[in-house]
Amino acid sequence: MSRSILRTIVSGGLRALDRARQPATAHAHCDIPCGIYDPHLMQIAALTVVRMNQLIEALGDDAAKTKASLSRYILVKEEHAELAKREARVIWGDYFKPEHLEKYPDLHQVTWDIMKLGGKSKQEINAQAAADLLAATQKFAEIFWDSKGVATKKAPSNQAVGGEIVVPA
Amino acid sequence: MRPSRSVVALAVGAAALLLLASSPLRRIMPVIRYGVDGPSMEPTYRQGDRVVVNRLAYAGRRPVAGDVVVFRDPDDASRHLIKRVAAAPGADGSVFVLGDNPAASKDSRVFGPVPRERIVGKAMFKY
Repeated sequence: MSRSILRTIVSGGLRALDRARQPATAHAHCDIPCGIYDPHLMQIAALTVVRMNQLIEALGDDAAKTKASLSRYILVKEEHAELAKREARVIWGDYFKPEHLEKYPDLHQVTWDIMKLGGKSKQEINAQAAADLLAATQKFAEIFWDSKGVATKKAPSNQAVGGEIVVPA
Repeated sequence: MRPSRSVVALAVGAAALLLLASSPLRRIMPVIRYGVDGPSMEPTYRQGDRVVVNRLAYAGRRPVAGDVVVFRDPDDASRHLIKRVAAAPGADGSVFVLGDNPAASKDSRVFGPVPRERIVGKAMFKY
Protein backbone atom coordinates (compact mmCIF):
# COMPACT_ATOMS: atom_id res chain seq x y z
CA MET A 1 0.00 0.00 0.00
CA SER A 2 1.48 3.32 -0.98
CA ARG A 3 1.91 6.10 1.49
CA SER A 4 -0.52 8.34 -0.30
CA ILE A 5 -3.29 5.72 -0.14
CA LEU A 6 -2.55 5.11 3.52
CA ARG A 7 -2.66 8.81 4.20
CA THR A 8 -6.00 9.06 2.45
CA ILE A 9 -7.40 6.23 4.57
CA VAL A 10 -6.07 7.71 7.82
CA SER A 11 -7.33 11.18 6.91
CA GLY A 12 -10.73 9.78 6.01
CA GLY A 13 -10.92 7.93 9.32
CA LEU A 14 -9.93 10.99 11.29
CA ARG A 15 -12.40 13.16 9.39
CA ALA A 16 -15.12 10.63 10.21
CA LEU A 17 -14.12 10.89 13.86
CA ASP A 18 -14.31 14.66 13.62
CA ARG A 19 -17.87 14.42 12.43
CA ALA A 20 -18.73 12.20 15.38
CA ARG A 21 -16.89 14.39 17.86
CA GLN A 22 -15.44 17.81 17.12
CA PRO A 23 -11.67 18.12 17.55
CA ALA A 24 -10.23 20.55 20.07
CA THR A 25 -9.42 24.05 18.80
CA ALA A 26 -5.85 25.22 18.26
CA HIS A 27 -6.06 28.98 17.99
CA ALA A 28 -3.90 30.66 15.38
CA HIS A 29 -5.30 34.13 15.75
CA CYS A 30 -3.72 37.50 15.33
CA ASP A 31 -5.21 39.14 18.40
CA ILE A 32 -2.51 41.77 18.27
CA PRO A 33 -2.62 44.08 16.40
CA CYS A 34 -5.80 42.77 14.80
CA GLY A 35 -7.84 43.54 17.91
CA ILE A 36 -8.30 46.94 16.31
CA TYR A 37 -10.98 47.04 13.65
CA ASP A 38 -12.40 50.10 11.96
CA PRO A 39 -14.65 50.40 8.92
CA HIS A 40 -13.33 53.89 8.16
CA LEU A 41 -10.69 52.87 5.63
CA MET A 42 -13.21 50.76 3.73
CA GLN A 43 -15.47 53.77 3.25
CA ILE A 44 -12.59 56.02 2.21
CA ALA A 45 -11.57 53.39 -0.33
CA ALA A 46 -15.15 53.29 -1.67
CA LEU A 47 -15.23 57.09 -1.81
CA THR A 48 -11.99 56.98 -3.80
CA VAL A 49 -13.64 54.65 -6.30
CA VAL A 50 -16.52 57.11 -6.59
CA ARG A 51 -14.04 59.93 -7.13
CA MET A 52 -12.13 58.06 -9.82
CA ASN A 53 -15.36 57.53 -11.74
CA GLN A 54 -16.03 61.26 -11.49
CA LEU A 55 -12.55 62.10 -12.75
CA ILE A 56 -12.78 59.63 -15.62
CA GLU A 57 -16.15 61.10 -16.56
CA ALA A 58 -14.65 64.60 -16.58
CA LEU A 59 -11.67 63.78 -18.79
CA GLY A 60 -11.26 66.13 -21.73
CA ASP A 61 -10.33 65.46 -25.33
CA ASP A 62 -6.59 65.97 -25.18
CA ALA A 63 -5.68 62.44 -26.25
CA ALA A 64 -2.18 62.18 -24.79
CA LYS A 65 -3.11 63.76 -21.50
CA THR A 66 -6.31 61.77 -21.30
CA LYS A 67 -4.54 58.49 -21.82
CA ALA A 68 -2.08 59.13 -19.02
CA SER A 69 -4.75 60.38 -16.64
CA LEU A 70 -7.15 57.60 -17.52
CA SER A 71 -4.48 55.02 -16.78
CA ARG A 72 -3.81 56.55 -13.41
CA TYR A 73 -7.48 56.83 -12.49
CA ILE A 74 -8.16 53.25 -13.48
CA LEU A 75 -5.20 52.05 -11.46
CA VAL A 76 -6.33 53.94 -8.36
CA LYS A 77 -9.92 52.74 -8.89
CA GLU A 78 -8.68 49.17 -9.15
CA GLU A 79 -6.55 49.39 -6.02
CA HIS A 80 -9.18 51.05 -3.88
CA ALA A 81 -12.01 48.77 -4.92
CA GLU A 82 -9.77 45.89 -3.86
CA LEU A 83 -8.90 47.68 -0.62
CA ALA A 84 -12.59 48.11 0.23
CA LYS A 85 -13.11 44.40 -0.40
CA ARG A 86 -10.12 43.46 1.71
CA GLU A 87 -11.13 45.63 4.66
CA ALA A 88 -14.64 44.17 4.58
CA ARG A 89 -13.28 40.63 4.42
CA VAL A 90 -10.99 41.10 7.40
CA ILE A 91 -13.66 42.61 9.66
CA TRP A 92 -16.28 40.12 8.47
CA GLY A 93 -13.96 37.14 8.91
CA ASP A 94 -12.00 38.10 12.01
CA TYR A 95 -14.21 40.40 14.06
CA PHE A 96 -17.78 39.22 13.54
CA LYS A 97 -18.93 36.14 15.43
CA PRO A 98 -21.96 33.86 15.00
CA GLU A 99 -23.87 35.75 17.69
CA HIS A 100 -23.49 38.94 15.63
CA LEU A 101 -25.09 37.19 12.69
CA GLU A 102 -28.12 36.39 14.81
CA LYS A 103 -28.51 40.06 15.61
CA TYR A 104 -27.65 41.29 12.09
CA PRO A 105 -29.03 38.66 9.73
CA ASP A 106 -28.13 40.68 6.62
CA LEU A 107 -24.44 40.88 7.57
CA HIS A 108 -23.46 38.19 5.08
CA GLN A 109 -25.50 39.84 2.34
CA VAL A 110 -23.95 43.26 2.96
CA THR A 111 -20.45 41.77 2.92
CA TRP A 112 -21.28 39.88 -0.25
CA ASP A 113 -22.60 43.09 -1.82
CA ILE A 114 -19.27 44.79 -1.07
CA MET A 115 -17.44 41.90 -2.77
CA LYS A 116 -19.67 41.99 -5.84
CA LEU A 117 -19.84 45.78 -6.15
CA GLY A 118 -16.08 46.03 -5.57
CA GLY A 119 -15.59 43.56 -8.40
CA LYS A 120 -17.98 45.43 -10.67
CA SER A 121 -16.25 48.70 -9.86
CA LYS A 122 -12.96 47.18 -10.95
CA GLN A 123 -14.33 45.71 -14.14
CA GLU A 124 -16.26 48.75 -15.31
CA ILE A 125 -16.30 52.53 -15.34
CA ASN A 126 -19.59 52.63 -13.51
CA ALA A 127 -20.57 55.51 -11.25
CA GLN A 128 -23.67 53.69 -10.02
CA ALA A 129 -21.67 50.63 -8.96
CA ALA A 130 -19.26 52.91 -7.10
CA ALA A 131 -22.14 54.71 -5.36
CA ASP A 132 -23.67 51.36 -4.42
CA LEU A 133 -20.30 50.17 -3.13
CA LEU A 134 -20.08 53.24 -0.92
CA ALA A 135 -23.61 52.64 0.35
CA ALA A 136 -22.79 49.01 1.16
CA THR A 137 -19.67 50.04 3.11
CA GLN A 138 -21.77 52.58 5.02
CA LYS A 139 -24.25 49.89 5.94
CA PHE A 140 -21.40 47.60 6.97
CA ALA A 141 -20.00 50.40 9.16
CA GLU A 142 -23.39 50.92 10.81
CA ILE A 143 -23.62 47.22 11.67
CA PHE A 144 -20.04 47.18 12.92
CA TRP A 145 -20.42 50.14 15.27
CA ASP A 146 -23.84 48.99 16.46
CA SER A 147 -22.33 45.61 17.41
CA LYS A 148 -19.97 47.54 19.69
CA GLY A 149 -22.83 49.52 21.16
CA VAL A 150 -21.68 52.71 19.44
CA ALA A 151 -24.26 55.03 17.89
CA THR A 152 -23.41 56.38 14.43
CA LYS A 153 -24.22 59.26 12.14
CA LYS A 154 -23.64 59.99 8.49
CA ALA A 155 -21.13 62.81 8.15
CA PRO A 156 -20.18 64.69 4.98
CA SER A 157 -16.86 63.52 3.59
CA ASN A 158 -15.76 67.18 3.22
CA GLN A 159 -13.80 66.12 0.16
CA ALA A 160 -14.11 67.06 -3.48
CA VAL A 161 -15.86 63.79 -4.11
CA GLY A 162 -18.80 64.75 -1.89
CA GLY A 163 -20.77 61.91 -0.34
CA GLU A 164 -20.93 60.80 3.26
CA ILE A 165 -19.26 58.35 5.57
CA VAL A 166 -20.65 56.63 8.66
CA VAL A 167 -18.79 57.63 11.81
CA PRO A 168 -19.40 57.21 15.56
CA ALA A 169 -21.92 59.84 16.66
CA MET B 1 5.05 -5.19 -3.63
CA ARG B 2 5.71 -5.94 0.03
CA PRO B 3 5.00 -2.91 2.17
CA SER B 4 8.04 -1.47 3.85
CA ARG B 5 8.40 -1.67 7.61
CA SER B 6 7.81 2.03 8.00
CA VAL B 7 4.53 1.83 6.10
CA VAL B 8 3.38 -1.09 8.26
CA ALA B 9 4.38 0.82 11.38
CA LEU B 10 2.47 3.84 10.15
CA ALA B 11 -0.62 1.72 9.44
CA VAL B 12 -0.52 0.10 12.88
CA GLY B 13 0.02 3.48 14.46
CA ALA B 14 -2.85 4.98 12.53
CA ALA B 15 -5.21 2.17 13.50
CA ALA B 16 -4.23 2.52 17.16
CA LEU B 17 -4.67 6.26 16.92
CA LEU B 18 -8.17 5.92 15.49
CA LEU B 19 -9.18 3.53 18.26
CA LEU B 20 -7.69 5.62 21.03
CA ALA B 21 -8.98 8.92 19.76
CA SER B 22 -12.54 7.67 19.87
CA SER B 23 -12.39 5.93 23.24
CA PRO B 24 -13.64 7.37 26.52
CA LEU B 25 -10.04 7.47 27.64
CA ARG B 26 -9.13 10.08 25.07
CA ARG B 27 -8.43 12.71 27.72
CA ILE B 28 -5.30 10.82 28.63
CA MET B 29 -4.53 9.67 25.13
CA PRO B 30 -1.13 10.36 23.60
CA VAL B 31 -2.63 11.99 20.53
CA ILE B 32 -5.25 14.70 20.18
CA ARG B 33 -7.09 16.01 17.13
CA TYR B 34 -7.17 19.77 16.70
CA GLY B 35 -8.95 22.06 14.28
CA VAL B 36 -6.94 25.19 13.41
CA ASP B 37 -8.78 28.47 13.89
CA GLY B 38 -7.14 31.62 12.54
CA PRO B 39 -4.55 32.73 9.97
CA SER B 40 -1.36 33.01 12.03
CA MET B 41 0.12 29.69 10.83
CA GLU B 42 -0.52 30.20 7.14
CA PRO B 43 0.56 28.84 4.76
CA THR B 44 1.45 25.71 6.77
CA TYR B 45 -1.91 25.47 8.51
CA ARG B 46 -4.94 27.30 7.22
CA GLN B 47 -8.24 28.07 8.85
CA GLY B 48 -10.15 24.81 9.30
CA ASP B 49 -7.16 22.50 8.78
CA ARG B 50 -7.09 19.48 11.07
CA VAL B 51 -3.93 18.35 12.77
CA VAL B 52 -2.93 15.42 14.96
CA VAL B 53 -0.85 16.41 17.97
CA ASN B 54 1.44 14.00 19.81
CA ARG B 55 1.41 14.69 23.52
CA LEU B 56 4.29 12.34 24.19
CA ALA B 57 6.64 13.90 21.66
CA TYR B 58 8.53 15.74 24.36
CA ALA B 59 8.47 13.05 27.01
CA GLY B 60 12.06 12.12 26.31
CA ARG B 61 13.42 15.03 24.39
CA ARG B 62 13.18 18.79 24.10
CA PRO B 63 11.46 20.72 21.37
CA VAL B 64 13.78 21.84 18.60
CA ALA B 65 13.59 24.89 16.35
CA GLY B 66 11.19 24.17 13.52
CA ASP B 67 8.75 22.02 15.51
CA VAL B 68 5.13 23.11 15.36
CA VAL B 69 3.69 22.91 18.87
CA VAL B 70 0.33 23.31 20.55
CA PHE B 71 0.48 25.00 23.95
CA ARG B 72 -1.76 26.68 26.48
CA ASP B 73 -2.11 30.42 25.86
CA PRO B 74 0.04 32.26 28.43
CA ASP B 75 -2.78 34.82 28.72
CA ASP B 76 -5.63 32.30 28.98
CA ALA B 77 -4.84 28.70 29.98
CA SER B 78 -8.17 27.45 28.65
CA ARG B 79 -7.16 28.36 25.09
CA HIS B 80 -4.71 26.32 23.11
CA LEU B 81 -2.49 28.02 20.52
CA ILE B 82 -0.51 26.55 17.64
CA LYS B 83 2.85 28.09 16.66
CA ARG B 84 6.31 27.13 15.46
CA VAL B 85 9.33 26.89 17.75
CA ALA B 86 11.69 29.59 16.48
CA ALA B 87 14.58 29.06 18.84
CA ALA B 88 16.00 26.12 20.74
CA PRO B 89 14.88 25.97 24.36
CA GLY B 90 16.60 28.10 26.92
CA ALA B 91 18.21 26.68 30.06
CA ASP B 92 14.80 26.46 31.72
CA GLY B 93 13.26 24.57 28.78
CA SER B 94 11.05 27.43 27.65
CA VAL B 95 10.70 27.98 23.91
CA PHE B 96 10.32 31.05 21.75
CA VAL B 97 7.43 30.57 19.34
CA LEU B 98 6.37 32.46 16.23
CA GLY B 99 3.50 32.15 13.77
CA ASP B 100 4.45 31.16 10.23
CA ASN B 101 2.47 34.25 9.22
CA PRO B 102 4.19 36.76 11.53
CA ALA B 103 2.20 39.71 10.20
CA ALA B 104 -0.93 38.15 11.69
CA SER B 105 0.27 36.36 14.77
CA LYS B 106 0.21 36.81 18.49
CA ASP B 107 3.24 34.90 19.68
CA SER B 108 6.42 35.13 21.78
CA ARG B 109 7.01 38.63 20.46
CA VAL B 110 3.99 39.53 22.56
CA PHE B 111 3.91 37.10 25.47
CA GLY B 112 7.56 36.03 25.68
CA PRO B 113 8.94 32.49 25.83
CA VAL B 114 6.50 29.66 26.54
CA PRO B 115 7.39 27.56 29.62
CA ARG B 116 7.93 23.86 28.91
CA GLU B 117 4.99 22.80 31.10
CA ARG B 118 2.59 24.81 28.96
CA ILE B 119 3.36 22.80 25.83
CA VAL B 120 0.66 20.24 25.06
CA GLY B 121 2.48 18.46 22.28
CA LYS B 122 3.96 18.45 18.81
CA ALA B 123 1.94 18.72 15.63
CA MET B 124 2.55 15.51 13.69
CA PHE B 125 0.49 15.69 10.54
CA LYS B 126 -2.37 17.47 8.86
CA TYR B 127 -5.38 15.51 7.72
